[in-house]
Amino acid sequence: MKDYLYREPCDDFPVAMAYVPWQHFKGICENLEKGYCDGTIFPELDKPFTGRRCCNR
Amino acid sequence: MNAQFSSEQEKLLHDIGVLSFVVIELSLYLDTHPTDQNAMKYFNHYNNLANQARQEYSARYTPLTLSCADASACDDWKWALAPMPWEGGCN
Amino acid sequence: MWNYERRLEFPVNIKEANADIAQAIISQYGGPDGEMGASMRYLSQRYACPYREVSAVLTDIGTEELAHLEMVAAIVHQLTKNLSMEQIEASGFRNYYVDHTVGIWPQAAGGVPFNACEFQSKGDIITDLMEDMAADETFTHTQSKLPVDYNWRQICPMYFIIIAPHFNIIN
Repeated sequence: MKDYLYREPCDDFPVAMAYVPWQHFKGICENLEKGYCDGTIFPELDKPFTGRRCCNR
Repeated sequence: MNAQFSSEQEKLLHDIGVLSFVVIELSLYLDTHPTDQNAMKYFNHYNNLANQARQEYSARYTPLTLSCADASACDDWKWALAPMPWEGGCN
Repeated sequence: MWNYERRLEFPVNIKEANADIAQAIISQYGGPDGEMGASMRYLSQRYACPYREVSAVLTDIGTEELAHLEMVAAIVHQLTKNLSMEQIEASGFRNYYVDHTVGIWPQAAGGVPFNACEFQSKGDIITDLMEDMAADETFTHTQSKLPVDYNWRQICPMYFIIIAPHFNIIN
């Protein structure tokens, strides 16, 4: 595996394959209690749980 | 979570839960980013806090891991006899 | 490879028995998109993985899924342990009760027993990671299908801790 902090432009990637962007460490949430209850300490992974089907946001 | 804890034991167990969760999250990040020194500093800091809290809980109340279990005293084998973690609620 | 800590990852203290909701939540235990499938999937896929970083994340997340599995079991156990026969008969829980009473047995809400057909371990890491991403999306989707009229204030904190780590495997 390559250097983990490296950024690559998606346009250079081969077509017809699926890719996932690298997560970069930007610190953790300040309120750890809230992180514990939200299920993640990374704010960028705190996705809203709407209890609904997929919707256009 | 603004829970009111009914005892110091409950509060300490809660703190262990929070700290251990932070450690797990950081370990998952570091698994795929094993050269991230900044994240490693965070990991070491919270891992130390979590270990201290676990040692304190095991010494004051019941052992949380088998390696913290102390069978040298004359008490019964607390590891088996302490309440199971899923025994709660609807009493 | 396993030691364990004698505590749940997030505490479970259900105040109100409810057989109906237990019937739905059992799917998160042994259903097609549940935690047993998730943990077995990751722990099975890790062997054929050529990258240590990925084997590590599969092992660590598979382990955490086992922790989620027991939280879901604790939820179902507490929702059903003190039910009366009248409550059981009045709810959709009766069919499960006939075969398992208040024991915990991995099945989907519709009654399909947990089985290995609910995950794949192809031995090719790209294929396996695609399976993982699809599985985590179906998991989150199933979560959104659980009944919304129950008192989720108690269960919700536990559920967020179960849902969010599934985004880690996608990363």
